[in-house]
Formats: sequence, C-alpha cells, structure tokens
Amino acid sequence: MTTRRVSTALVALLAAAGLAYWFVNTREGSAKPATGTRGGRLIATHRSEPRSLNRYVSPNLAEELVSRLTQDTLVRLNLSTGEIEPRLATEWTNSPDGLTWTLTLRDGVTFSDGAPFSAADVLFSFEVLYDAKVKSPIASSVLVAGSPLTVRALDARRVLVIFPAPYGPGLALLDAVPILPQHKLRSAFDAGKFRDAWGVTTPPSDLAGLGPFVLREYVAGQRLLFARNPRFWRRDEQGASLPYLDEIEVQIVPEQNAEILRLEAGEVDLITDQVRPEDLAALQKLQDQGAVTLNEAGIALNPEMLWFNLDPASPRARTRPWLQRPELRRAISHAVDRQRIVQTVYLGAAEAVFGPVTPGHGEWYLPDLPRTDFDPARAKVLLGSMGLIDRNGDGKVDDERGETARLSILTTKGHTIRERSAAIIQEQLAAVGLSVDVVPMELGSLLSLLMAGTGDYDAVFFSIVLDSFDPVASLDFWISSGSFHLWHPAQTKPASEWEAQIDDLMLKQSTTLDRAERRRLFTEVQRIFAANLPVLYFAAPKVVVATSARVGGALPSVLSPTVLWNAEMLSLVPAPAGSTRK
Amino acid sequence: MTRDLAAFVGGRLAAAALFVVVVSAGAFVLVRLAPGDATAELFLSRASPAEIADARSRLGLDRPLLVHLRDWATGLVTLDLGQSSVFGRPVSDLVRERAGATARLAALALLVAVAIGLPLGVLTGSRPRFAAFVAPVSVALVACPPIVAVLALLLMAVATGWMSIAPGSYAVPTLALALPVAAMLERLQSQALADALSSPDLIAAAARGVPPARLVWVHAARQSLLPVLGIAGAVIGSLFSGSLAVEMMTSWPGLGRLMFDALTGRDLFLVAGCALVGAMLIAVGNLAADIARAVVDPRVRGGA
Repeated sequence: MTTRRVSTALVALLAAAGLAYWFVNTREGSAKPATGTRGGRLIATHRSEPRSLNRYVSPNLAEELVSRLTQDTLVRLNLSTGEIEPRLATEWTNSPDGLTWTLTLRDGVTFSDGAPFSAADVLFSFEVLYDAKVKSPIASSVLVAGSPLTVRALDARRVLVIFPAPYGPGLALLDAVPILPQHKLRSAFDAGKFRDAWGVTTPPSDLAGLGPFVLREYVAGQRLLFARNPRFWRRDEQGASLPYLDEIEVQIVPEQNAEILRLEAGEVDLITDQVRPEDLAALQKLQDQGAVTLNEAGIALNPEMLWFNLDPASPRARTRPWLQRPELRRAISHAVDRQRIVQTVYLGAAEAVFGPVTPGHGEWYLPDLPRTDFDPARAKVLLGSMGLIDRNGDGKVDDERGETARLSILTTKGHTIRERSAAIIQEQLAAVGLSVDVVPMELGSLLSLLMAGTGDYDAVFFSIVLDSFDPVASLDFWISSGSFHLWHPAQTKPASEWEAQIDDLMLKQSTTLDRAERRRLFTEVQRIFAANLPVLYFAAPKVVVATSARVGGALPSVLSPTVLWNAEMLSLVPAPAGSTRK
Repeated sequence: MTRDLAAFVGGRLAAAALFVVVVSAGAFVLVRLAPGDATAELFLSRASPAEIADARSRLGLDRPLLVHLRDWATGLVTLDLGQSSVFGRPVSDLVRERAGATARLAALALLVAVAIGLPLGVLTGSRPRFAAFVAPVSVALVACPPIVAVLALLLMAVATGWMSIAPGSYAVPTLALALPVAAMLERLQSQALADALSSPDLIAAAARGVPPARLVWVHAARQSLLPVLGIAGAVIGSLFSGSLAVEMMTSWPGLGRLMFDALTGRDLFLVAGCALVGAMLIAVGNLAADIARAVVDPRVRGGA
C-alpha cells in the first residue's frame, strides 16, 4: 500500500515536473530567451529617412530612431512599462520642495570614440538645447511652466537639475534629451554652426555617442548601417556586454506594402511601424508556419477622433446653433455602433473606446467611465430634445426652421481607416435621421484650415500623435489655452465652466508630485470630459509589431520606435524547428 | 553638321530651355498656391504658434508669391536652387545625388526595353501567328499602370525568390519600368514592320529574290525605325513619370522619391528643383531623339 502510494506520488511528481518543463519551454519558445545570443545583423525597415543625424535640430521619427541607437540619456522612459529607468544617471534624489534633483552619473562611461563622459557633457547638452540660435525643436518639450530647466555640475560625477516649478512626471522629461559629446560639437556650437554639424553628409567617423550602436554607413534613400558600440556601458544580467547584435541595418522603405512583402520574403527581420489590420491575416499564417512573430504591444494611445467646432464665434454656429449643443454629440455617440467599426474597419484588431484615454495608457485608463453605448432610440430622443425632428416625413431630421439638419465631417483623403470609419458614421447617423456629408481633404489642406484657426468647419475626423503615456504630455490638448485644444483652441479665458474646471485640475495634476493624487485629479478630468464629450472616440487599434521569428528580446511598445527603442537587448536566435520560411 | 541641322538643333535647344524653365517655375507657383505649406508638419508635431510663425518667416512663406518667385529665379541664374526645408540641405546637392540614380535606372530600363521590344516587334510584325500570342500580353502591359506592374513583380520576386527585393537591387525596378515600354515598342515596331513589308519597294525586293530573313531584319527593320524613333520622346517621358511609383515601391533612391518627399513636405525649392532636373532629363532625352530622327530623315529638319 505504502509502495503504491509512493509510486503514485512519484508518477504524479514526474508528470508535474514534465508538465512544468513543457510549459516553461513552450513559454520560452514564444517569449524568447532572457539572455540574448551574441552576433548577427538584424535588418529592419523604416518609412522615412533622417534629415539630419542630430536629434537636436530635427525632431522626426527617423532622427529619433538614429538618436535612440547612437545616443543615450540620463534616464529613460521604459516604453514597455512606462517606468523611469537609470541610464547615464545611476541614482537621483529630490529636494523636499520637489524642485531640485541631484543626479549621480555613471562611472567609467566613455563615448564611442573613447573620450570620457562627464558632467560637462550634460551641461553642454542643455546649453545647446535651450540656445536661441540653435532653436532646437525638442526644447519646447523640455520646458516646465514655460521655463527651461537649470542644470549645474556639483562635480564631474554629479549634476543638479533644477525645475522652475514642481512637475508631476519629474525626471521623465529627461528622456527627451540625448547627451551630446562636448569634445565633438563645442567648436561648431561656439561658431554658431551647430545646426549644420552632423548633417546626413557628415562622415560617420566624425560622430560619437553613448548609445549601444554607432553609425557605420548611411546611403541616402537606401539604408543606415549601425555597428555595435564596443564601449557601450550596459551589461546584461549575466554580466555580458551589450548590445547582443553586431549590426542593425535600417532599410528605408517608404511604402507599407513593400515593407510587408520584404518581411514575407524573409528579407527583413522587423518592420518598425505597426501592422495594418488588412495585413494581419496573411502575417498570422506566416506566424502559424513559424516564420514571423506578431508582437501585440497593446492598445494604441491615439485613436481616431471626431471633434466638433465649439468656438462660439464660429460662423457655422450662427445659422445652426444646434451644432454646438452637447445633446448632439451625445446623440451621435449613441447612434454609432462602435463594434461595427471595430469589425469592419479594423477587422477585429481594435477595441471600442469612449474617451481619449485608452487601455494603452496603463494606470491612467479608467475602465468604469460612464459610456454612451449603442442606442439609436436614445439618439433620436436626444436629437428631438434639441428640436431636430423629422417634420416632413422624409426620414431626415429637420431643425426648427424646417430645414434638413445637415453637418459636414472633414477628414483626410487617402487614409483608409478614416475614410471607412467616417463612411460608417455617416451611414449610422443617417439611420437616426441626421444627414452628414463626409468631406475627404488633402492632409495639407485640412491642416491649413486648422492652423488658420478661423473655425470654418462643423466637425473633423482625425487623430493626433502622442509620444508619452503621461497626460501632462498632452497638456495643450486638455487646457483651454492650448493650441491643441482642438474643439476651441487657444482660448484667452475658458469659454465654459467645465473647461475651466479641467484647466484647474490639469494644472494641479501637472505640478503634483504624488502619483496617487495625480491619478485622482486625472480621474476627475476624465469624468468631466465624458460628461461633456467635446470629442467622440469610437475605436482604438491594437498595436501589433511584426518581426521575423529569429528576433529575440523584443519588448514591443505602443509608442515609437515600437521595438528598436530597446535595441541593445535584441538578438537573433536560430529559426524554430518546423519553420517553413523561404 | 549641315546648316539646316544646326538650325534644327538650335531651335530644339531653345524650346528645351523654355520647357525646363516653365515646368520648374510652374511647379514652384502651384505648390506655393496649394493649401497648406511646409509648416504643417510642425503643427502635427505640436509646435507652438510662435514656432510655426518663425518657421514660416525663415522659409519665406510670409513673403508675397511674386517676391518669392523672383528670389528663386534670381538664384536659378547663379545655379543656386535654394535650401530644402525638408532635408535642410542645398537642393542642388540633393537633386545631383538622386538624379544620377534615376538616370541610371531609366537608361538601363530603356536598354532592356529596346533589347526586348524591338526584336519582338520585328518577329510579331513578320509572323502574324506569333503576334496572336504576343499582342494581348503587350496590350495588357501597355495598359498596366506602373504601380500595378511593380507590385506584380514584387509579388513574383517574393513567391519565387528569383530576384532580390532589397533596396538598391536593379532587377525589379528595371523590369517594372522596362516591360511596359518594351510592350509599347513591340506594338509600334510590329505595326511599322508590317507596313514596311507591304510597301512597293520591299514587295519588289522580295520579287527580286532577296532572302526573307534579310528582307525582314535588314530592309524592313530599317524602314520601320522612323515611326519608332518618333515616340522616343514619349518613351523617355513615361520612364520618368513611371519612376515615381517604382522608386517608392522598390526603395530606389531616385528623383521620383525625392519629388514625393518634397511634395508631401510642401518643400517649395525642392519641388521646383526636382521639376527642373526632371524636365532637363526629359528635354535632353527628347532632344537626342529629335536629333536622331533628323539625322535619319532629312525631312524632319524642314519641319523644325
């Protein structure tokens, strides 16, 4: 009896161990090893090419990618977790008033050309950043309450960063500031030629950085080749020096269909941009064959949005005052079946959303916000409450003067997602009697209209780029004086009580250091926003990044650059058994 | 060179210069008049109104159109094409880099097209049964927009692995540009050859016992060359207009892609610079074709 029990226990134990072994190996097989394999060239594609090799003078995605690969910052925002990580600064303390940060710099760090890194390089970088002649486009994102940070060196290894006012996200701001080599760029800066230094024709041997890679070659319009920086400071958990890869080749492929074809052909390992919904089915097949890995990074931060012109001085509102009534926006929100947009436009690769803060925003997202669910009957009641009813039996609602209630929605021509979504919105609003004209415009024309600020439109269906999880990064959207307060930008004083409340809460939120209090304040902001709905949201896409199956160590992010932000941890692993890739 | 040929070339040169100036100035004016400008990108990157106003002033967009155009034209006289707002580099440097790549691709595509199209045209013009198979393919290729041709070739390259699709590879972009042109040449050569074979002198030559192969490949082919040369200008134009889609899809770093970047970025000087160089390449190609026709057929010089 005892022997049988022991045997049974042993069998059970072995089975459990086997199961655990299988589980761990299966998981490892899909999640890639924690420690990478040294060597190899990873080939990635990017849509655009850099216009400069200096991030301080050109702020586009390609320059950011070059900067992330070749430069380093004092601290880094982990684009996967949203947490601040030490980089060139190993530790930091904050003064009781929250204004002064003391950062200790990493010891023994050298630039790729062998020159030692010190506090002088940090001071030089901030001097350049705020210089009036350099006019760095990234300077405006490193201002607090409109003023620059003050940076001083205590000694060669410690710097003080003094904020002009308390700032909620704290040192996350420094993620935008790559540290430049003073020994390479000081003379150009002093000569007033900093903007021309490190142009795309500069020989790569003249560049130096603190990042994991160095630029070895740039062939205009074709490719950038980065080689491993043997002097990079970081090591992995086993003490092996990083990066794992010997080289990263970034091919410039401006057309998305061509990018996908290259991935399918096995000619590239990684597409830096997210995969379009219509490409997912084909790539899913390749994933099933073991040739491609589809990495789900989460829900996008910037869903398409429909905003209304709420400027009281808008000429449109004079003849059709109902355009600015909150009941109209609420009725439209009830009239649109978001699931239909999710299924038809995004082919299921999206989530229905009701506000600007999507699940991709992590801790800032509120799943229990009041929602305007699909309810056409309720939409009709709301339209009727504004006097928009069908007066002549033609199936279309009319205003109190008996004229058909009609509004136009501007969107961008050639943007498939926007055009299809707008068509569904148009169709579903027609079902509740509201006539909508969708007007696709060239991007330049639409932006020109918005920049003019004349308010000569009814509504716009568009999206804006977000480069941070933190709501403070979108302060110009939330507060009424902001230039991106799209529904009524750059107000001299808040036009409504609820906008004044949001202004007050967001300004407090941006200067509060306590994270829990910041969350509480932003929750309040979102509730006020949801109650007034100046902007309607319908669906946010899932961000899926495609890599070849041999790419290991990817930590995909919903923010750009989706995978290469953590290039030092990427490695190439042998293709899994059974891969049918060509 | 005879006097009438010199006059012909001089006239064509003057027309080419006028064509180049009108095309580039027209591009400048049209882009300047179109809604939106180079600062739209700044707006999207959430620059402040003050930063946008500063950029507009720096780029000269706050100046009247005629003043702006005059400044550009003045620079043109001294071969200064201005500074690109998108790339922050002199336009002349950018177009010099990219025009070479486009010209290389176009020249190779022309060579391939001629090597395929003309012999095939001779064959189909002299053998109607053979033409029944080739003609439908040629008509389809002539009607095929460059973007469809390049996509089909890319798909074929991916499916078969016969051609590399890495940036800088010649095979796909060359074939994408060459095949429709080859098809056009085939159709034209075929018709011209059939016409030549039915001309009285060649019928007489056949009656005199000239061997059929010599009749077709020497006598008829020579006679049918003139109509083919007549469309050389259009062929060169189609190579450059088709290069935009082909360069985009195959990552070829040529003038078409540069023009696309310039147009999307509303880069006035770069658009004008690309138009100028593109027009120059087309004008030079047309000029060469015209001179060739004038040399082959003296009647053309009289029409100059």
